[in-house]
Amino acid sequence: MYKWLAEFFGLAKNYIIFALLISLSLLLISTNNNGHTRGLQVVGLVTTSYLEAGVNDVLGYFSLSSEVKKLQLENAHLIDQNAKIRGAMEENRQLRGLLNLRQQSSYPLIPGDVVGRSADGGRNFITLDIGEKNGVSVNDPVVSGTGLVGIVSAVSENFSLVRTLLDVDSRVAAKLVNASADGLVVSGSYGELAMENVSRRYPVQPGDIVETSSLSTLVPPGIAIGMVTKAENRPGDIFKKIDVEPAVDYTSITTAFVMKYSRPAEATKLEKEHLQKEK
Amino acid sequence: MTKRLFGYIALSIAAIVLQKFLDNYASIDSISPQLIILVAVYMSLREGQLFGMGGGFLVGFVNDLLVTHFIGYSSLLGVIAGFVAGFFYKEGDVELAATNFNFAWISAITIAVTQLAALPIIASGELNYFYVFLKFTVGTTIYTTVFAMIIVFVKGRKSRYV
Repeated sequence: MYKWLAEFFGLAKNYIIFALLISLSLLLISTNNNGHTRGLQVVGLVTTSYLEAGVNDVLGYFSLSSEVKKLQLENAHLIDQNAKIRGAMEENRQLRGLLNLRQQSSYPLIPGDVVGRSADGGRNFITLDIGEKNGVSVNDPVVSGTGLVGIVSAVSENFSLVRTLLDVDSRVAAKLVNASADGLVVSGSYGELAMENVSRRYPVQPGDIVETSSLSTLVPPGIAIGMVTKAENRPGDIFKKIDVEPAVDYTSITTAFVMKYSRPAEATKLEKEHLQKEK
Repeated sequence: MTKRLFGYIALSIAAIVLQKFLDNYASIDSISPQLIILVAVYMSLREGQLFGMGGGFLVGFVNDLLVTHFIGYSSLLGVIAGFVAGFFYKEGDVELAATNFNFAWISAITIAVTQLAALPIIASGELNYFYVFLKFTVGTTIYTTVFAMIIVFVKGRKSRYV
């Protein structure tokens, strides 16, 4: 019996190990949202964040010294200066938006700089240089001056990982302002978003504004998500197909705010009590 | 063997760092070359299927920790890549399989199979499977194969001058 087993393992060992490693990988994937795996994510996040922050500091140092040199050769670098002015205008626009948001928001906002981005296999995350120490917790919404960026997915002491709206697993309750229709915003194609579960009876036009809905438990209502670029009825589908251009430019975002929002406890309690009664 | 093992560790670290860089600066609509798969293919072609699978799993796991932040995803790709590439392993002909143009087409086949296997995970919650297939399976296969060909080309040129 032992000999037979040894022979079998000798012949099929590659397949057995393949099956074991695949099972282990699938197990890890399925446990991505539980505490232990999130702990692993935080360890990785801390490591990369420190590395990225270090690289950013070094790059920042070199860019500053080169800027001083460029200023000394002012006349010879007029074109470069023009480019800088354009960059400053863009930064100014972003900062004005952030300032405006900060003045208007009734929820506490924690500012943070984007120190890392990762976009791979449909995953889309950004890393902020603020963490538990600053009061950030998992599931906090993250906003910029132009709209909703995403939801905090993991937090370490000094950094936080934000799942952006472009991530394949991102789901945010949203509302079409003009049509007063609720739906779900998910990642779409080519850096765009898509809005699902909107009945075809609602009149939706390109240019309509999409914002967060009061149905969301994580995000306060009224935060801009994007603008409808295309809305169509597909044959045999009870829902519209809606493409949404994100309000946030994820490729150039440099600063964001973590919003400390918690849904009114009374509403959550009422819903829980009602559900228990129904059971 | 110990020397080669350190070589693979160094190669894996370089690939993970470069993967992070490519994800940040060279991804086209969330598509970037999958260097982890190329490392697993290389290890499998040089050392055999078992080593490729184990190495692919470990490199993928570290890549998940440091780059994708989605634990288990790259490990799965690494194991499948090591397994598939292992079928092209020839014990007496290691150099032929792992260093010349064969590396590029073996990588292309492996990436295509790997991305097809990962399709259900990538497309979770997505209704338009065909779009996800075109974007992630075909897109990643082409992008990574181009990268593999560049590596083969650069390596070929370097060895010509040595």
